[in-house]
Amino acid sequence: MAPTTQFELAQPPNDAVSSLVFAPNAPSRLLASSWDKNLYLYDTLTTSENGDAEDGSGVSHGTLLRTYEHRAPVLDVCFGADDNEAFTAGMDWEVRRVDLESGEQTTVSKHTAPVRRVVYSKAHSLLISASWDSTLHIHNPTNPSLTPLTIPLPGKPHAMAASPSKVIVAMTSRLVHIYDLGTLAGALESQSGEAPAPWQQRESSLKFLTRAVAAMPSDGGYATSSIEGRVAVEWFDASAESQARKYAFKCHRQTDNAAAAGVTDVVYPVNALAFHPVHGNTFASAGGDATVALWDAEAKRRMKVYQKFADSVAAVAFSTDGRFLAVAVCPGFETGMEDYSGEGRTKIVIRELGENEARGKGAK
Amino acid sequence: MGKKKRGHPDVEEILARPWCYYCERDFEDLKLLISHQKAKHFKCDRCGRRLNTAGGLSVHMNQVHKESLSHVENALPNRQGLDVEIFGMEGIPEDVVQQHNQRIIQNFYQAQADRYAATGNPPPGQGGKNPPKKLKVENPDDIKKRLAEHRARIAAQKAAGGAPTHTPPVGAPDGQSPAQSASPGTFALLASPLPPQYPQGGFNYPPSNLPSRPGSNLPVPSGLPPRPGQPGFPGYSANASTVDELVASASGQQGDHIDQMIRDLERGEAPARMGDSAAPASADEPAPEKKSKKDKDKNVRMVYDDELSPEERMALMPRYAFVPQAA
Repeated sequence: MAPTTQFELAQPPNDAVSSLVFAPNAPSRLLASSWDKNLYLYDTLTTSENGDAEDGSGVSHGTLLRTYEHRAPVLDVCFGADDNEAFTAGMDWEVRRVDLESGEQTTVSKHTAPVRRVVYSKAHSLLISASWDSTLHIHNPTNPSLTPLTIPLPGKPHAMAASPSKVIVAMTSRLVHIYDLGTLAGALESQSGEAPAPWQQRESSLKFLTRAVAAMPSDGGYATSSIEGRVAVEWFDASAESQARKYAFKCHRQTDNAAAAGVTDVVYPVNALAFHPVHGNTFASAGGDATVALWDAEAKRRMKVYQKFADSVAAVAFSTDGRFLAVAVCPGFETGMEDYSGEGRTKIVIRELGENEARGKGAK
Repeated sequence: MGKKKRGHPDVEEILARPWCYYCERDFEDLKLLISHQKAKHFKCDRCGRRLNTAGGLSVHMNQVHKESLSHVENALPNRQGLDVEIFGMEGIPEDVVQQHNQRIIQNFYQAQADRYAATGNPPPGQGGKNPPKKLKVENPDDIKKRLAEHRARIAAQKAAGGAPTHTPPVGAPDGQSPAQSASPGTFALLASPLPPQYPQGGFNYPPSNLPSRPGSNLPVPSGLPPRPGQPGFPGYSANASTVDELVASASGQQGDHIDQMIRDLERGEAPARMGDSAAPASADEPAPEKKSKKDKDKNVRMVYDDELSPEERMALMPRYAFVPQAA
C-alpha cells in the first residue's frame, strides 16, 4: 500500500484552473486549462529532478511536461482523437487545436464571443464547441474540408458534456438541450447547412443557474449541478418510469452557527461533476465549500466526502483507468467580488483511489 | 397479566439492548454491537483494517497512511466527533444515554399507542375495569322499560286512529338511533337488543382516548412528532426524519415542549444535509423544495447568487478580459 495517496502537483498553474482532463489512453497524462492564459500538460506519476520534494519523502509530485500559451484565458480543454491532440476553448473567441507533441496551435473555429466549453466525441469524430454567442459549432477535425455546422441556441451555454451517443448542453434560463451525436454527424456530413433539431429539450430540474453537467459513461443519463448547492440526476429515456427515477439533492453546504442572526446555511456552488469511467454509477462533485464528494447515482447514496481542501474546488477529473482523481483547488469567485486572483493559491491535487473507494455498495 | 404480547417485547427488554453511540442502532448482544462498530465506524477505508476504537483508527490512519481522520464514518451528524472514546457500550456520555433511553421509551409508547389505535384493543391492564366484552350496557330492566314505552306509544298512535306505522317517531324520547329506523316495527315486536344498538352505549373509549397509560410519568406520546419512518410526515423522508429526530433529541431538548422540538427538527435539517450519509436517498425533488420554503425563516446565504456565471463575471475584469483586435 502506497504510503501517501494524495499529493499536490509540482509547478501548478499561476492562476485559477478552469478545467482538468485526463488523456483517453495514458492514465497519468493530465491537461489543465488556466485563467493565466496557459494550457498545462502534466505527467502525474513521475517526479522531475527540479520538482521539489520539500518534505524529502521522495514521493511523486508529478512533472510539468509542457505549457502552451494562449492569447487569452483558457476556459475549457478536451483531448482529441489521441493523447497528443487537444482542443481548447478560449476567452479570445477561438477554438484551437493543440498538438501536444510539437506545441503547434491551429485555430479550428471562431465564435463571436468567448468559447465556454469544448467536447470531443471520438466515436463520431466530432468536435463541439459552445460559446456565449449562444451557438454550438460542430467540426469534424479529421475531415477539415467539411464546412462546420453552426447551431443557434436559445440561451447562453454554461456547461456541456458528451456521453457515448449524446451531447448535453445546459444553458441560461434553465434550458437543457440534448443532441444526438449521430444526427449531428449526419447533418455535418450532408453539408446542407441546416441545423438539426435537438433530440430532446428539457427544463433543468434545478431552479438556479446550471454550473456543470456530466454524462454517465453507460449512456444512461447525466447529472447537473447548480450554483445553489444542488445536484440533479436524470435519465435520457423519456418514458414516464425512467423520468420518475430522476432526483435532486442538496450538497456542498455548511451551517454557520457563529453568525449573530442564529443559524445560517451557507450554500456553495457545485463547480464541477465527473463520472467514474469504471464504476459508472459513481460520480464526484466539486464544491465551493472546498470539498469533493463521491456519490452513487443509482443507490442515491453519498459514498465519501474528502477532507476539506485549502480553497474552493474548481474542477475534478477521473483518469481513464479510474485509479486517480485530479482536483483543482483555487479561490472561489463569490458574489460581489470586485477583483479576483487565483495567483499563488492554485493547486492541483492528485489522489490515488483505493481499490474499492469509488465502487458503489449497491442499493440498500 | 402474565401473557406476553406476541412479537412486542416490553420496554425494559428494549432498553436493555446494546446500542451504537454513532448510529443509534440497537443489537441483540454486545458482540454484535462491537463487530458492527468495527465494520461500520472503525474501518479504515484505505486498507480495510478494522480497529477497535475511533482513536485507534485515527492513529492507524496517521501512521500507516499518513492521513488524518476527521470524523467517524457512517455516524449521525452530531456523533461524528473523535473526542469521545467509544467501545461497545463503554464511553457513551451520560446525557446521551439518557436521551437515548428517553427516545426509546417515547418510541415504545408511541408504537404501543399506534398499535392500540390500529387494532382497537385497549391497553392491557384496563380490561377488567372497562371490558370490551360488555358492549351491551342496557340491562333487561331497561329494555323492558323501553319496550313498554314503545308499546304505549304504538297504542297511543292506534288510539289516535292510525294503523301501526313503521315510521319511527322523530325525536322520540327513547333516543332510538337512525340505524334502527329501518325496522322499528320488527324491533318493537321482538324487543330484543339487536346488534344495531351498540352505538347507544358500546363505544365508551374511542381509539383516540387510548394512548395515555396510567401511572407513567413519561411525556404523553400522542403529542410527539411521528415516529421515524412513519409516512405522512410532511417533507421528511424516512431517513432524514430518523436523523433529525436524533439531532433534535441530542441537542438537549426535553420531549415535552412540542413547538420547540419541531423548530429544532427544522433546524437540525441543516447539519443533516451535509453530514447525512444517506443524503441523496432522502432527496426527491419535491421534498427538498418544500424544505427550502421552510428554510426561509432560517438564514440561507448563497456564496454565489447571480444571473451571470462566475466565469462571465471574471471575464469582465480587466485582468482576464479579451479585447478583440479591430478587424
